[in-house]
Amino acid sequence: MLITCPYCGPRDVIEFTYQGDANRTRPDPASTDQAAWNVYTYDRVNTLGDHAEYWQHSGGCRSHLKLVRSTLTHAISSTAFVRDHGEKKSASRRKPGAAT
Amino acid sequence: MSPRRANAPGRVDRSRSIRFSFDGKIYTGHPGDTLASALMTNGVTLFGRSFKYHRPRGVMTAGVDEPNALVTLIRGEIREPNLPTTLVEIYEGLEAVSQNRFPSLSFDVGAVNQLGGKLLGAGFYYKTFMGPVIGPLKGTRFWMFCEHFIRRAAGLGRAGTAKDTARYERMNAFCDVLVVGSGPAGLKAAREAAGDGGRVILLEMDSLLGGSARWSGGRIEGAEAAHWVDETVSGLRELPNVRTLTRTTAWGYYDGNTIAATERVADHKRDAAKGEPRQRHWVVRAKKVVLATGAFERPIVFPGNDRPGVMLASAAARYANDFGVLPGERIAVFANNDSAYANAALLRDAGATIVAIVDVRAAISDEARRLASQCGGDLLTGHAVVATEGGKGLTGFKVQKFDAATNSLSGDARVISADLLAVSGGWSPAIHLASQAGAGKAEWDATLQAFLPPKPAQDWTAVGTAAGDFSGGHGLDIAPAPVFEIKAAGKAFVDLQHDVTADDVRLAHREGFISVEHLKRYTTLGMATDQGKTSNVPGLAIMAEALGKPIPEVGTTRFRAPFSPVSIGAIGAERIGDLRPDRLTPMHDWHVEQGAKMYPAGLWHRPAIYGAPGETVEQAYIRETKATRSAAGIVDVSTLGKIMVQGPDAAEFLDRVYTNLFSTLPVNKARYGLMLREDGIAYDDGTTWRLAEHDFLMTTTTANAGKVMQNLEYFLDVYWPELKVTLTSVTDEWAGASIAGPRAREILAACVTGTAVDTETLPFMGIVRGEVAGVPVMICRLSFSGELAYEVYSGAGHGQQVWDALIEAGQPFGMVPYGLEALGTMRIEKGHVTGAEIDGRTTARDLYLDWMLSKKKPFIGAAMMDREGLVDENRIRLVGLVSLDGRPLNGGAHLVEHNDPAALRDSIGHITAVCFSPSLGKYIGLALVKGGKKRHGTRAYVSDPLRGRFGPVEIVSHHMFDPEGKRMHG
Amino acid sequence: MVEQVSPLGPAWKSGRHNVTGTAPGVTLAETRPGSIVQVAAWPGEEKAVIDAVRAVTGLKLPDGAGGGIATEHKAAFGFAPGKFMVVTQVEGIEAELLKAIPNNVGTVTGLSHGRTALRVSGPKAEWVLGKLYAIDFALPAFPLHAGRSTMHHDVFTQIQRTGADQFDLYVFRSFARSFWTTLCHAAEEVGYEVR
Repeated sequence: MLITCPYCGPRDVIEFTYQGDANRTRPDPASTDQAAWNVYTYDRVNTLGDHAEYWQHSGGCRSHLKLVRSTLTHAISSTAFVRDHGEKKSASRRKPGAAT
Repeated sequence: MSPRRANAPGRVDRSRSIRFSFDGKIYTGHPGDTLASALMTNGVTLFGRSFKYHRPRGVMTAGVDEPNALVTLIRGEIREPNLPTTLVEIYEGLEAVSQNRFPSLSFDVGAVNQLGGKLLGAGFYYKTFMGPVIGPLKGTRFWMFCEHFIRRAAGLGRAGTAKDTARYERMNAFCDVLVVGSGPAGLKAAREAAGDGGRVILLEMDSLLGGSARWSGGRIEGAEAAHWVDETVSGLRELPNVRTLTRTTAWGYYDGNTIAATERVADHKRDAAKGEPRQRHWVVRAKKVVLATGAFERPIVFPGNDRPGVMLASAAARYANDFGVLPGERIAVFANNDSAYANAALLRDAGATIVAIVDVRAAISDEARRLASQCGGDLLTGHAVVATEGGKGLTGFKVQKFDAATNSLSGDARVISADLLAVSGGWSPAIHLASQAGAGKAEWDATLQAFLPPKPAQDWTAVGTAAGDFSGGHGLDIAPAPVFEIKAAGKAFVDLQHDVTADDVRLAHREGFISVEHLKRYTTLGMATDQGKTSNVPGLAIMAEALGKPIPEVGTTRFRAPFSPVSIGAIGAERIGDLRPDRLTPMHDWHVEQGAKMYPAGLWHRPAIYGAPGETVEQAYIRETKATRSAAGIVDVSTLGKIMVQGPDAAEFLDRVYTNLFSTLPVNKARYGLMLREDGIAYDDGTTWRLAEHDFLMTTTTANAGKVMQNLEYFLDVYWPELKVTLTSVTDEWAGASIAGPRAREILAACVTGTAVDTETLPFMGIVRGEVAGVPVMICRLSFSGELAYEVYSGAGHGQQVWDALIEAGQPFGMVPYGLEALGTMRIEKGHVTGAEIDGRTTARDLYLDWMLSKKKPFIGAAMMDREGLVDENRIRLVGLVSLDGRPLNGGAHLVEHNDPAALRDSIGHITAVCFSPSLGKYIGLALVKGGKKRHGTRAYVSDPLRGRFGPVEIVSHHMFDPEGKRMHG
Repeated sequence: MVEQVSPLGPAWKSGRHNVTGTAPGVTLAETRPGSIVQVAAWPGEEKAVIDAVRAVTGLKLPDGAGGGIATEHKAAFGFAPGKFMVVTQVEGIEAELLKAIPNNVGTVTGLSHGRTALRVSGPKAEWVLGKLYAIDFALPAFPLHAGRSTMHHDVFTQIQRTGADQFDLYVFRSFARSFWTTLCHAAEEVGYEVR
């Protein structure tokens, strides 16, 4: 499986670490709503098909990416930094050579 | 000159000789020979015994599809089993042995299995060895008992036990166009892609490029085919953007247009050159893949079709024209299509006599008829072979009249004598890689009676015969009559490697295995090392007939990687033996020189003890601990995880991460911190040092360093992107030496310059900067051992100089170096927790660290840590243990309340860490026990029946030594 | 300053190894730069950091992710969004960068001890590195002076192309000896010289 890191370009999946389901919302840190924390901590969707998930390019630029990956075919339909690195800024844009 | 030699030598260089052995007998071959062609030249027809019935078997193919002629190669102590002789290139001194025979190939006692042939049908073993319903061998136990003997009788070669000393490597490659297969279609595709200027990689399984065009005659683009191949290949070789790889099998098609291939770099040599790998595992990522993988000729299933001397027609032609050996001198052909006529002509041109051509079809094309008359011999159209004769080699066969429309035989059998029967049952495109990367199923082509590649799910195209385009060959129409099996008396084999007969397939059907997948599993059809390359379509056809359905409705199974067997070594590549990465501290060499016994801690190597001669491990750590507690000890703590947390929001970040406050920590002070997981379970601990207003140096446990770093990055990226914080792993930036013991301060005072180290300048948890041996150092006063202690950090590249200076300064004070064992002993005495207690199940309260849980702010885990089950007083909680019978305790042992070694009782907890405490003079330990503190002063029993340990212990406070901490604060 | 002790220890064996022809396939060296510094910019402050690097070192970092610049004695390259490595032969660049990059612009982290700089050069450099890393080393895909972050199994590596046939690798110090051994092993096929 190849994942196209917005900074580094397409890389082998061995360079990445799966960091969990991206279909969940962390409650406000001060929240004492146990039910909400419970959902966030334990509930995972088990999607057949396109699934939003976090991957870290741990063996590369170490950015966290949010992917939409098909659990059926591994096809990745969307990839983006989780953290806004100001993608429009030049120093964060992917280099042309990386797009092999 | 051998009588079996063909007119022309083909690729074989007859001017040079190579000596090799097969089953201990010495033979001579030539460069270019495979083991199959060389043995054939020497008149060998019997290559092995079959899997189940131990029937004699010869060579059936000339390539990767070979089901029969498998051998074990021996290189010194190393055995490599199940190699097709058709792929093994001979080298001087090659040693091969046949397989699946006892005591010898020509006299095999297992051949008696043939007599009970009817009994050994599909599923025989499963049915027979189900075992009694009761008793010691009930159910599967009986099978397991019998399996040992059955596996010995039925099976393939035996792998050796010696360590494989060969070198394997991996290569990552990238290209615009990857072409798999170098027949004319592949060569044309490579030429075209190269012309576009992109990077091209061309893979060929054989040692030569060109495929069958090198020897099968015909013309390509107006030139003689062989000449065209030479010209095209040399043209490609001149191009800088083309890489051609021979002896390279593409065997897997993976996501991202990634192809896995194995290059047999040195398998054809007696010795690999120095530094040269035996095999190279290629991982090729291509923008576009061209599959020019060719096609496999199919056999026809008929009684006795497994006898040595029955061979695929194209293979026979190839031996004669490519390897210069006649597989037979009096050759008959049995076919259901025209391609066999061209191969018959090639065999005749090479010097063989064609005695007969038997064709199941009543009518054949004019061109086929012309070729037949050119070959001479009888042309028997509307006939079929119904039996073969001979022992270890074919002597003749029987034919009968055959009606292809009704698949029925008639008339009397007639015997034709021949020493080779060249068979052609049509052609199957090699769609294996296409199927791996295909959307949906392979498509049935009724004309070709074969499966064509499915629609691509990745960026590939299939060309040439792989795509079902056979127009480039002899111009013959290769469309076969739909005849796959001739039904007559006797065993007719579908899968020759797994000894699956046509009757087995029908038996499976009668017993209800009507899905292709079930059929495969029940009969093991197509599941041998050849993966059913010759048996797949005939097997399906027989199944389809039994089901009364057309073949496409029966379906084919999707091909999986690998296309052909791959050595584990090639996939493991360089990551073997000593090439596992090791992490070494800057003082590693010193530890080893001092005789330290190194202990692996993850990838790190850490001293366990510095043993004096004759000392046991226990004696060594007791000595080291005593010296530290009475004078001083020094330990290498460079392995601690270290993370720089920098930026204007660094303090806020740490407040969110740790259970306690860090924003209140003054500059040049350190604080012990605890992290929880989101679910409220304890995660990691360590000290964090505030080096400047916006710069913190966080330390983590050695084992968790990478995990903690990733977790922090996750929270920063995913939940707190607004924080301006940079996280950097600086574990390797700093060398750390911890000096502990009552003399520690004096030792530092003796060697540190540029700062004082007295209590006022350097209070508990204070940080100062100075120099040791002219090297800048950072010193923090903190203690893990319970002694007055300091951690001295320097740049890692200066770690050894600082360590040397500290050792020298410590000498007059009796300081000793100590290892992990003593470190562990002192922390157990003090009741400090590590990974053994922070084990992913314990909470801060379980470890009596609730004083660290801040109520002033939210932190990771704060919301979940107060759940009912996590605050229960009766959870297993941290205690100390003292052995009351003077014997050592066992880590992992359970504790029970009752003094009854014979009865297994409910556990009240378990032991997490053990040592002999020099300070208390007793064996002690830490444990997690139900109720924790409530049990202080009570007695329990270690119960460890597996290791035979039972005995009384006293449960005490985990602060077993200096509970007030006078020493460390002194 | 006291000289740093090389982490390579006895694994560093000077001279030619398995060189059959006139020249080795690759030359392997530990370059031992005086300063290895990581600078990071807060989002939107990348240009300010690039300017600061230029003011301190004279190196003009180009536009684009993974862009870099190298001279004989100095080099800089981007390896992650908003993050750059600055490497100089002289020591003490960290302090100067600290002055030039205030904490409202970004951070400066000294890694002169924590990263070991190894140079792989020669006609077979791409071939040898291709054995270890799953990235494309060909010039069009990995342009001159560009930087890459990647890994060889557990060994995280930042790589800068400092010549058509030359790559500078930055690995964690604790892994350096082990990695060097692997690198030499991989280079044996083509023959290598250690300098």
